[in-house]
Amino acid sequence: MFNSTGNNFGAGTIQFKDYQAENYVVLNAKFTYDPTNAAYQGVDTLEIYVPDLSINRSAVAGAILAFQDRYVYSSYTWNNDGGTAIKTWIKDKNTICLEKFTNFDDKGEITIFIQALYPMLNQPGNPIKGTRTRINMTQETRYLYWDSETFCVIFDHWVFLHIGFSSCSYSYRNQPWEAVMEGFPTDVCADVPWIGGSNQYNPSVTGYSLAHVENGVFTCQERMSGFDSTGYDPFIFAFLVRDGENNSE
Amino acid sequence: MKELPTECCRIVLFVIKDIEAWCPPIRSKTAIRSGLKREFIDPLSKISREYKQLSDSQMQAWEVLANHLKGISYFGKAAEMTAHNAFVRINSNRLLAGKSILMDAPSHISNIPAVVYDEIWVTPSDLIIKGIVHQNDPLRLVIKMSAGLSAGVSSGWSKTVIVSAGIEDDWGDANVRGRYMKVVGFAPAVGDKVFLELYWLNTETGFVGASAFDSKICITSEEAEAEGYVKRNKITMDDIKPDSHVSECDVDFSTGAPVISFDTVCLGHSNVASSEAYLEDELPADCIGTSMALARGMGEGNACFAAQSYIIWLRNSSWDGSSITFAHRGGYYVKPTEVFGPGILY
Repeated sequence: MFNSTGNNFGAGTIQFKDYQAENYVVLNAKFTYDPTNAAYQGVDTLEIYVPDLSINRSAVAGAILAFQDRYVYSSYTWNNDGGTAIKTWIKDKNTICLEKFTNFDDKGEITIFIQALYPMLNQPGNPIKGTRTRINMTQETRYLYWDSETFCVIFDHWVFLHIGFSSCSYSYRNQPWEAVMEGFPTDVCADVPWIGGSNQYNPSVTGYSLAHVENGVFTCQERMSGFDSTGYDPFIFAFLVRDGENNSE
Repeated sequence: MKELPTECCRIVLFVIKDIEAWCPPIRSKTAIRSGLKREFIDPLSKISREYKQLSDSQMQAWEVLANHLKGISYFGKAAEMTAHNAFVRINSNRLLAGKSILMDAPSHISNIPAVVYDEIWVTPSDLIIKGIVHQNDPLRLVIKMSAGLSAGVSSGWSKTVIVSAGIEDDWGDANVRGRYMKVVGFAPAVGDKVFLELYWLNTETGFVGASAFDSKICITSEEAEAEGYVKRNKITMDDIKPDSHVSECDVDFSTGAPVISFDTVCLGHSNVASSEAYLEDELPADCIGTSMALARGMGEGNACFAAQSYIIWLRNSSWDGSSITFAHRGGYYVKPTEVFGPGILY
């Protein structure tokens, strides 16, 4: 775990959970920024300054950009929260860069989820193969259904997570959701962006809903309004750091 | 490691033989028939004309810069420099790197390192510089190379032309075969000697660093491997068959980590939410498997910037050859989509 030492877009201190190997790093952070901030408006690339990383640059990785967009009516709130993937990379030992994606700057506060593995290239050897572990999402009363690409790949210090949503029993569609993730490590605690669902007010992207993983339990309090639209399959894609005692080699 | 000891920066006047760097020739008859003809614009004249548009204060600043540059000698001969010379030379360097003309004179203070690299490999099928010590923006690598000359030629650097007009090294590699073939037109034969000149170009100021000069005899691929050349394990557009469904492809296995690095544009095909890259050669056995990577639409159609997840199958098949299949999984399927970043391998 470490804190940023600064940034060029007017955000506050950003806390990172990290695993740093010799030739790659896994970083987790969730933070917000204000697109009306003068510092943000003056830069082409967002830069986060950090203490020395174990690698001095990386190939491009992916992060998730999310925003809130809600319309309150007398009897309900129409949730058009949205999000998409943006590019991120490590420029040098002390600088993490993020693509400046300005399409939703008029939506107010933007949330960024960094749950990425930053690799180096031209390293000796081919990729190391992991083992796919199926996650069995269990519930006392089963109301959630998942697609076959709900799995993880577990390493000592971090885990790759992919969740694909299939459907929900009708009577539970507006309830808070909870499921036990059998097969997934219990030492991971993270807010995870759940991307997908039709987004009527922001048709250039899909929906964004916030889920949480802790102690092997998956929860999601609410979903955006088009969450279960056909063909907009919500998914989670994240490299998550495990809460070991010492995650730096 | 080879390093040339010099710290002074210099500016270079590119002679007309390097004009290809600005305006690559169109050799395709089809392209010419379709009306796409090469427009010849002499960049030096264009820059010269711009000089006349400068304000008095701007001209004075270029005068000051020229005075500073007068004292810098190269090959032991003091350079003569006027404000106009400096303006043309610096801006021709900037144009070469795809930048606009600089109207305000840059500071004369510049410290551009020499190019440091491990080895150059020249075979009929590979032209690659390996182990380049990376420099950040705005420094870009300029590589000049000669055609294959007789092995008896001892100094062929005057016959070099610009092959790379300002590239970033690819993680220590500069694979210039494609560029070389475009500019020179034919690969060196085994036994030929190829001369090279390499230097860093500061694309902001137009200054360049000291040149590294080298020459290599072209050897066979087998000889290169025996001498220690290890081909990097990555798939690019040069490695895939034309009937593939990707318009850009960079699948890099050289991570030494539990991921593959992707940068591929998937076009889709036949109303199937997947794209195949059919490979010319087999994949190494330890790269066979399944991967999962993040993706984003490229701005066309509904949900044009939708985030997606893709499952990627890497396989060698005795039935239909080797291929990489990018199959849509999460999110809204969009064509075209860029699959990018690290993909876990299992």
